[in-house]
Amino acid sequence: MRKVLIVDDAVSMRQMVGFTLRQGGYDVVEAEHGQDALNKLQSTTVDLVLTDLNMPVMDGITLIQNLRRIPAMKSKPILMLTTEGLAAKKEQGKAAGATGWIVKPFDPEKLLQTLAKVLP
Amino acid sequence: MNKSVQSQASGVESSFSPSMASGVSGLGSDVESELAQYLPHFSRMSEQLKQTSSQIENSVIDVCNSFQGIAQRARETVDRTKGFLGRDGEGSSDKRTFEGLIENCSGTLVKILKVTEEAGEMSRRAVERIREMDKASESINAAVQQLERIAVGNKILALNARIEAARAGRYGAGFAVVAMEVISQTDKSQKVNALVSGLIKNLRSLAGSTLDDLNRMNVEDQQRVEQCKHEVDESLRDMQGAHGEMKKMLTGMTDEGALLANDIGAAVRGLQFQDRTNQRIAHVIEDLGVLSTRLKTRFGEPADGDAASYEGFSSFTMREERAVAGIEEAESGAGEVELF
Repeated sequence: MRKVLIVDDAVSMRQMVGFTLRQGGYDVVEAEHGQDALNKLQSTTVDLVLTDLNMPVMDGITLIQNLRRIPAMKSKPILMLTTEGLAAKKEQGKAAGATGWIVKPFDPEKLLQTLAKVLP
Repeated sequence: MNKSVQSQASGVESSFSPSMASGVSGLGSDVESELAQYLPHFSRMSEQLKQTSSQIENSVIDVCNSFQGIAQRARETVDRTKGFLGRDGEGSSDKRTFEGLIENCSGTLVKILKVTEEAGEMSRRAVERIREMDKASESINAAVQQLERIAVGNKILALNARIEAARAGRYGAGFAVVAMEVISQTDKSQKVNALVSGLIKNLRSLAGSTLDDLNRMNVEDQQRVEQCKHEVDESLRDMQGAHGEMKKMLTGMTDEGALLANDIGAAVRGLQFQDRTNQRIAHVIEDLGVLSTRLKTRFGEPADGDAASYEGFSSFTMREERAVAGIEEAESGAGEVELF
């Protein structure tokens, strides 16, 4: 079963994304901010990271930059899931190494389709 | 997705403009002192907004957890149904499937009918044999009758021999004894003939009644087999019909399960209003903080007794709040409950 790391400071969002992914047959790991995600990745490996942008402690862009420095995460898909839709922010994400950008509110079916598309 | 939520969400940036605070410095002293009275309420308002935000989030989490349970059960039902339908569609070799059971049942009933038909066939063969035996008995009877005619002829012949022996006198005496003996033997032979004839008669009568019984049994068996065949065919048709209905119902349940999953998906999408609402509330809290800080800078920390009555902030009724929000009531008092 493919494992996805969900990074979001809102418990409800993690619940909703987690619920959608579990329905789609994915295993789910949750983290409440970027640093928490990095800590979790020390003890577990994942196939994909789905992260929010604005979070306390460590935001999504910084998280992606850090993840891309980890050899195991270099080629893994990382998707941003955020309310932010500005082109400049998207460019920042792309430059940091994000694989894609999904604007909230997400469509559960589309989210699953996107995951299937980016996962090798 | 709710369009109003979308349009609200597009304005998630802070609505507070620094010029609003800087404009305060130009107000008259009465207005300034009025504003200063409300300063202590900012933190309370912020706290209330945080609580509201937290309550909304907790409610959404609860709903999400419920969805998790509903979806799990729906998925299990769909999986079980699909499993059953899948097995059922693989053919009847699997005895656990309904189709397999019908097939087995049908096979068993066909075997029973075949055995019954075989029994009927044997009975028919027995009838044929008894008929043949009856014909043989008839032939024996004819032969016995022939023997009887021969015996009668022999008796007449012996009688004539006696007459001729009497005419011959002393020389015919021995011949008369032989003739008497022939008559005696013929009598015995006729007795045996009569006995055999009686036995044949009894045998034929027995064979006749056995034939009648067997024929009647055959006809009844034939009717019973036909009746059974008809009933079995009807039962199998009913079972197949019921199975078809059940299959249709289960397929419908699978489709319903898929629709339920879609509905839950749509509900999850709808529930995300909470994320944007919380962000918006967070911005409002942030603005209140900025405003509070600026007013404190402008007017200084207010003394405890300076606070204006808080009731001024909470005197709105639900009806007034709905009116402010532009929500019209369909019916006066609708949805309200009063218990005594």
